[in-house]
Amino acid sequence: MYEMNNIILGSLVSKTRCDHCHLEFNDSVMIKDDNLNFCCKGCQGVYHLLKDDGLDSFYNKLGNKTITPPIEVDDDINRFDTKSFEEMFISTNENGFKQIDLVIEGIHCAACIWLNEKVLYDTDGIVSADINFTNNKAKIIWDDDEVSLSEIIKKIRSIGYNAYAYDASAADEQAVKSKRDYFIRMMVAVFASMNIMMLSVAKYTGFFTGMDEEVRHFVHLGEFILATPVLFYSGWIFFRGAYYGLRNRILNMDFLVSSGATLTYIYSLFILFGAKGESYFDSVAMIITFVLVGKYLEVIGKKSAVDTLDKIKGTLPLEAMVIVDGKKKSLPLNSIKVGDIIELRSGEKVCIDGVITNGEGNFDESSLTGESLPVYKKEGQKVFSGTINSDSVIRYEATKTYKNSTLNSIVTLLEDSLSSKPKIEYKANEVSKGFTVTILSLSLATFLVWYFFGIDLGFDYEGTNHFEKSFIVAISVIVIACPCALALATPIASLIGISELAKKGLLFKEAKYIESMAKADTLVMDKTGTITKGHLQVKKMRILDDNIHKLNLLYSLLDSSTHPVSKSVKRHLDDNFQLSLKDISNVKNVESKGIVAKYKNVDGKVFNLLGGNTDLLKENNINYKFDSTNTVYVFAINTRVIATFELIDEIKEGAQELVSDALKNGLNVVMLTGDNYSVASKVASKVGIKDFEANINPIQKAEYVEKLKKEGKTVIMAGDGINDSIALAKSDVAIAMGNSSDITISVSDVVLLNNSLESLLTAFKISRRTYKFIKQNLALSLIYNAITIPLAMAGLVIPLVAALSMSLSSLMVVGNSMRIKEKKY
Amino acid sequence: MINDTLLMMLIVGLVVSFAILAVFIWGAKGGQFDDSRKMMDGLLYDGTEDLNDAVKKDEKIKKVKENKKSESTKE
Repeated sequence: MYEMNNIILGSLVSKTRCDHCHLEFNDSVMIKDDNLNFCCKGCQGVYHLLKDDGLDSFYNKLGNKTITPPIEVDDDINRFDTKSFEEMFISTNENGFKQIDLVIEGIHCAACIWLNEKVLYDTDGIVSADINFTNNKAKIIWDDDEVSLSEIIKKIRSIGYNAYAYDASAADEQAVKSKRDYFIRMMVAVFASMNIMMLSVAKYTGFFTGMDEEVRHFVHLGEFILATPVLFYSGWIFFRGAYYGLRNRILNMDFLVSSGATLTYIYSLFILFGAKGESYFDSVAMIITFVLVGKYLEVIGKKSAVDTLDKIKGTLPLEAMVIVDGKKKSLPLNSIKVGDIIELRSGEKVCIDGVITNGEGNFDESSLTGESLPVYKKEGQKVFSGTINSDSVIRYEATKTYKNSTLNSIVTLLEDSLSSKPKIEYKANEVSKGFTVTILSLSLATFLVWYFFGIDLGFDYEGTNHFEKSFIVAISVIVIACPCALALATPIASLIGISELAKKGLLFKEAKYIESMAKADTLVMDKTGTITKGHLQVKKMRILDDNIHKLNLLYSLLDSSTHPVSKSVKRHLDDNFQLSLKDISNVKNVESKGIVAKYKNVDGKVFNLLGGNTDLLKENNINYKFDSTNTVYVFAINTRVIATFELIDEIKEGAQELVSDALKNGLNVVMLTGDNYSVASKVASKVGIKDFEANINPIQKAEYVEKLKKEGKTVIMAGDGINDSIALAKSDVAIAMGNSSDITISVSDVVLLNNSLESLLTAFKISRRTYKFIKQNLALSLIYNAITIPLAMAGLVIPLVAALSMSLSSLMVVGNSMRIKEKKY
Repeated sequence: MINDTLLMMLIVGLVVSFAILAVFIWGAKGGQFDDSRKMMDGLLYDGTEDLNDAVKKDEKIKKVKENKKSESTKE
């Protein structure tokens, strides 16, 4: 693949561990400090600071874990002490202390929490610094007479972390409250169910070994005491859900769970207080507990999505530099009007959409389009909020307010979609829903027949009350049928399916997505990062001059650029050669062409260094013919070309197989990309996709998914970037690649840990197989019920038969589900 | 007699376990289990140095609060 001219460029690169962050780098780039090695000045600084402050036990606590090297932040630290910042984020508590909610960036392990808390508590004026390890959020309380917020932030930055504020008042508090509430309800249910199961073991053993009526009554009493809080406290959310469902004329899952559990509870009460038969308090507790654990996992997912949104909002700028009467003035974003002129410096994020009025430069639009290559923009062209001005000073006119700008719209849309994510469980459980409605109807019919015609039909009332007997028989129909169908047929198969998927590195956040995935009819995929690898890789390299010194100059030039092409070439050189940095000067960016610099050798002779595309060579009158359809990087010294590189964003392995499998199984496959038409069409034709949309923004992607859903399609969306997150949130099953952004993973239902399309294909196969077994289980339950329900309706279910048939039906379903594991992928 | 013993055991068992559950709920309502990762790793940080730090932390908070209180009464 590589074309190299007889050069031997160093031996295999040896790696050395940094004594602060524990990451490994080439020995040649390490900073030596006595016997210590550091990867950068930041790590060295923090190491000595901790040592001097007696905090070096941090390294014992850190063990062999790695951390991120200190983050260099060059923003204006004084903005933390401004009035607008205070109004937005700081509050005063009842003791007169200031309080702020921060997100701490760079936390990896408990040692990081320890260090941050220790340093903050050792700072005068800080009253409380409580950092949450799970979501990296911190609540800081301080006395502003003794210390300012900017000093606190400086302290955090000095030890290699960064902090930014977020507004905790809104969704966050609600999410914390809801998570805690569900947690307590779930723990009550788990606790009671565990105890009930112990009593049930005694009770069921008693069938065979014999048990006094009195003892059996105690056991029922114990079960009653334990099941009551489960039904009415833990199960309260199902009653609430059922109530709202009925008000909207929907017979939802909550209704089925609550009605099944309540009727079983009432039946068991009759038994407890003297009626003949067996109580099923254990079934009541188990149904509620099983379903509640699933709900709790959903709540955790929502909470972590809120945490990620807070992190994104925390990184947004609060103010922008506006030109008022020829003077620069920093104004809060909400006060900027359409028509105001905004100045953007190099590296700043655009916060309001507008049109460039002065200047030109490259914009990193990856957060909107997913494309890693910067886009060159000049006067008259639109800039969008969320993109980053890479390299120059630009003035532009605001064409929208902050509220209506792209970035704010995305954040708002995400917030909305998180709170109203379509509940596909209504659709997914159609079979069991229809089944349970039938059971409820049969039960009602049984009651009516027994009550009105029982005596005429010659039913034996065994001396009990006419109504009581009819009621008990009617409920026994539900008890025999419902718990099994509701609690086992689907979840057991799903559980085994989920564990099989997890073994392959496919994380399904909830079992219901297996069913949805198997039933889906449309697969929507993002291009960059999903179908392609998402980053440029050197495909072909030609070294025309094998002088190591000249390659060192190339390496130095690449090091001075942050452009993705330069970074990819540098990474390629790092992997293959051992090169060192030289002192180069006058480094300049040439807009959308490349980078130029000067180098002075020991004799004082100056050389021009050029690195970029062929346009840069033409501009410098270097005549070099190089035809390629790929991205090209050429390096020249003065007028002589030294090396050329061709880079491509390769299509991932397994893409063609995935698409052909999907098409074979009747799925419609669509590709959506922010990239241009020609690149999109090239990639689509290579992998065999016929439908694709190019040049579309994140909101249009989401609209496309919504349109498909309106047409009645069940949509699976696979993506990796922030630009895909709204579309993902709108889809029925959202699949995120393992290397996706935090927000993408948060809004997704499935995460492909190993990032490969082959695993997505496996996900489809296992889901389809699991779904097949779910259907089989339901069929088995139907057969079982077809036999037992008539017996129950006739009032012939004796306790022993009930106990045995309940266990047998469960074993049957579990045994069948285990067969999912048989097939290897 | 045996049945009475069984009943007693059942009652005592239920009372004790409900008491434990009540303590657990009390802790959970106070936010003790909100940060699951910190709670798990907390076991690693219970050495003498860490306990001393915790005491110092409490003393410091008390002192800062007292100072603030006396300042506000002076005003």
